[in-house]
Amino acid sequence: MNRRVGAVVVGALLLAGCGGGGPQSSGDSKLSGDRIVLGVLNDQSGVYLALSGTNSVKAVQMAIADFKAKHGGDAITDDITVETADHQNKPDVANTKAAEMYDRLGVDAILDVPTSSAALKVADVAKEKKKLYFNISGATTDLTGKSCNRYTFHYAYDTYMLANGTGKTVTEQGAKNWYIVYPNYAFGQDMEKSFSTAVTGAGGTIVGKDATPFPNDNFSTFLLKAPTLNPKPDVLGTMQAGGDLVNLVKQYNEFKLREKGVGLSVGLMFLTDIHSLTPAALAGTTYTDAWYWNFDAENRAFADRFLKETGSRPTFAHAANYSAALQYLEAVQAAGTDDADAVVKQLEGKSINDVFLRNGKIRAEDHRVIHDAYLAQVKPAAEVTEDWDYVKILKTIPADSAFRTPSADCKL
Amino acid sequence: MSVATKSPSLVRAAARAPRRLRWALLVIGLAIALWLPNGLYPAVAVDMLCWALFAVAVDLLLGYTGLLSFGHAAFWGTSAYATGLVAIHLGVPFPVAVLSGALVAAVLAVPIGYLAVRRTGIYFAMVTLAFAQMIYYIANNRRGLTGGENGLQSVPRELFGLDLTDAYYFYYAALPVVLLGLWAAWRIVNSPFGRVLVGIRDNPARARALGYPVHRYKLLAFVLSAFIAGLGGGLFAMAHRFVTLDTLHWTTSGKAVVMVVLGGIGTLWGGVLGAGLLVRLEDWLSFSGFEAVGLVTGGLFVVVVLVFRRGLWGTAAELLRRRSGLRRVRGGEQG
Amino acid sequence: MSSFLQHTFDGLVSGAFLALLALGLAVIFGMLRVVNFAHGAFYMLGAVGTYLLLTEFGVPFWWALLIVPVVLGALGMGVERAFVHRLARLDPLYNFLLTFGLTLVLQDLVKLRYGTQSSPYATPSALDATVDFGLFDFPAYRVFVLAFAVVACVAVWWLLGHTRVGMVVRAATEHPELSRALGIDVGRWVTPVFGFGIALAGVAGVLAAPMRAVNPLMGADLVIVVFAVVVIGGLGSIFGSVAAGFGIGLVQAWGESYLDRWPIVAQTSVFVIMAVVLLWRPAGLFGREEAPA
Repeated sequence: MNRRVGAVVVGALLLAGCGGGGPQSSGDSKLSGDRIVLGVLNDQSGVYLALSGTNSVKAVQMAIADFKAKHGGDAITDDITVETADHQNKPDVANTKAAEMYDRLGVDAILDVPTSSAALKVADVAKEKKKLYFNISGATTDLTGKSCNRYTFHYAYDTYMLANGTGKTVTEQGAKNWYIVYPNYAFGQDMEKSFSTAVTGAGGTIVGKDATPFPNDNFSTFLLKAPTLNPKPDVLGTMQAGGDLVNLVKQYNEFKLREKGVGLSVGLMFLTDIHSLTPAALAGTTYTDAWYWNFDAENRAFADRFLKETGSRPTFAHAANYSAALQYLEAVQAAGTDDADAVVKQLEGKSINDVFLRNGKIRAEDHRVIHDAYLAQVKPAAEVTEDWDYVKILKTIPADSAFRTPSADCKL
Repeated sequence: MSVATKSPSLVRAAARAPRRLRWALLVIGLAIALWLPNGLYPAVAVDMLCWALFAVAVDLLLGYTGLLSFGHAAFWGTSAYATGLVAIHLGVPFPVAVLSGALVAAVLAVPIGYLAVRRTGIYFAMVTLAFAQMIYYIANNRRGLTGGENGLQSVPRELFGLDLTDAYYFYYAALPVVLLGLWAAWRIVNSPFGRVLVGIRDNPARARALGYPVHRYKLLAFVLSAFIAGLGGGLFAMAHRFVTLDTLHWTTSGKAVVMVVLGGIGTLWGGVLGAGLLVRLEDWLSFSGFEAVGLVTGGLFVVVVLVFRRGLWGTAAELLRRRSGLRRVRGGEQG
Repeated sequence: MSSFLQHTFDGLVSGAFLALLALGLAVIFGMLRVVNFAHGAFYMLGAVGTYLLLTEFGVPFWWALLIVPVVLGALGMGVERAFVHRLARLDPLYNFLLTFGLTLVLQDLVKLRYGTQSSPYATPSALDATVDFGLFDFPAYRVFVLAFAVVACVAVWWLLGHTRVGMVVRAATEHPELSRALGIDVGRWVTPVFGFGIALAGVAGVLAAPMRAVNPLMGADLVIVVFAVVVIGGLGSIFGSVAAGFGIGLVQAWGESYLDRWPIVAQTSVFVIMAVVLLWRPAGLFGREEAPA
């Protein structure tokens, strides 16, 4: 017994002595590990599952297939794989998983990562490991502001784009008086500020704004207050997301605010939210969308393929994941290497048009990927003739004015 | 009645276990601790260290004082934030930041503990849970200080100019702090103070009759436990170099309780074992493509509560005790 | 004035949910000395069940209001026999832990099958209107919820006061030592009472379906507030838990509307009140001090 214990101890000590971890450098092939590995790190078990989740992995696989089909024998490699992990919306899990993906699984670029706190952390990891990160579902403008870095790109949307698109456009279209309710956490507070600026900038007035507890299942206090404000608001602007949004919309209908002349505008909404709330509950609601599947024939063709793969229509997050994966692969192809610095050089300043990016451009100053955005309105139930085709696009917001100008806080 | 009435026999069993065996266990434990980041992904190994401290802190209260705290995330998380803020604003070496974080947690534990120890058993669990939730809401609101939902980002990790960016090296830098915390917990349990706690747990009326200020003893145990949980939380902040609201959420408290029950209530080292296992399990599950992490951990937990109440360590100790007891009987026959 | 009445009414509606949940928790605790952590999960099952009945079987709200509590009550009895009962002789903390584990399992089972998106559920058409009270108007469904909850609480109170089961439960809840000494057979009522408490959580869940987001986590944070409510009311007191439920609902609604600059006040008020109550009357407002468990 004793001898066995001794052997274990000696063995363990030896291992401790010569294990010598530390980062390992790759060989001198043009591709690290002679292959390209993409990593999709997102919520595969929580509230963001439907809007991105496992279906984004499928979208990335579609991008790989399209890349291979386009380049055939000339592709830089045939060995392109996807690794994926569930970060459960926990930033600490995201942190560990991201590091593990880069170090152990040989991932060259991480995609997606919903929840701002997790996205900010993964950006940090990318900077430290000098590997690429394309954020899709994180909303915070800090990613292209004070927390920006050379290896992180922000795709799809951010709080400024959402607030500016809806706040400015809806005000310009005649709804001058706004009552804003926002959840009392970072996302909500950012959204409220951007919204208020956009509304007043377009000549509107904020007649009231209230922070709501988060999470919250009872919004009646604010809904009771809305029609009593003076002057009476034309629009209730809600920055709620996920389950809170569902609560608010249900109760908005219960209190008959639309009948009382208070319209509804939502800060952030995904196609899957409309699907689960039913378009009837949201009819007439306006919001800013980064992409819509039934906008034109090209989008629709992509959406048809996606439907075949997954059984549902793509949200903008799915399309953005596809686009980010595709553009990354194209950049590697063009650079002839997956060396992160070389790929960054390829991407910076590049103008792109693909199924997701319309008039797209990867800004070199802050790595914000800009593109056209859309003001969308949920159709009345009578006009919904096809599953998932729930909104009409009221206005295309051109890429140049959809996003904020590069922030002075960002030093790449 | 108490959750850990079984444990005095375990303590005695451990005391009766041959001295040689105890040293062997200690050496094996240390060897595993030294080897760990070579066998596992280092960041996962660091997580194990932090959670081990947290679990031991919860067991200190549950196993040795009979108080189930379902709100220890309040201390783990508060210390994480305090550690992060100290490191960001003062730039001190990381062990100093972690210690100051743990101190802040201990200070917070005084008013919460003062109110909570007025109730025992199930009430205590509910009250601590409620207070922790309150701290969570406050942290969420004080965005200027905590970064709110975005979290406290870019916490520096510094030790006399050494580069600890790599989790592999940080593991070895953090290990002494963890061993110190575990040693402190062991000392507390095996001190006269610890024995009074067990006495209070098993028979509060008798302890009171003997003249012990029961509330004050419990409060002190609560504060000490919060301090050790704070050490873990501070290290966790350093390990991830950021702090988020999750560290304060009640599910975090629940996770520590699961670890303790898995390892064995009232065994102290069981918590370390439970932490290691649960962290490994969750790491594995998140890459497995299986979506229901809670189903696995919750199901495992239910099974342990129903049929393995001694937990892993407790069951192993019991088996050992039976074997050595048997051997002694046989030895007696031969002699 | 009219807005004050409106906010008061609104507070009573959210209080109704807290009261129904606290009542179930108190009844179970009284009989079994078990604090059911899974109470929030059963509330969630009530709402999800209502949604399922509609989408899978086309069963409307009114039938769900009858069927779901019965089914959940049966499920509760099953849980009591299969799990809770086995730990009855041990420290009640073990059952607290057990129900915590069950919560994780139940939440994930629903999540696996139906995802985490919130499911839609329309207000029953008969109540999709507003009621005009002269000074103010209010959604008819909410008026119904409040009335239903009050009737349910009164009915439970009557049951406890005027039936044999009720006397046993009341005796076991409010004078546990005495009832045992008098030889009242508490044992045979344990399982049905547990089921009954779960059924009450189910009722709250059904009522929540048309006005709140139905998702696997809807009960997770709520149960903590309910814990604070029963600590305030006094765990051993059935009246206390109902009164505290409505009271906390009112405090939260008033806090939200009149201290709207500080949303934190409404959110943490229940915990602050709990702290004050613990200092002033550790056994709760309506609870009796008993020997520490």
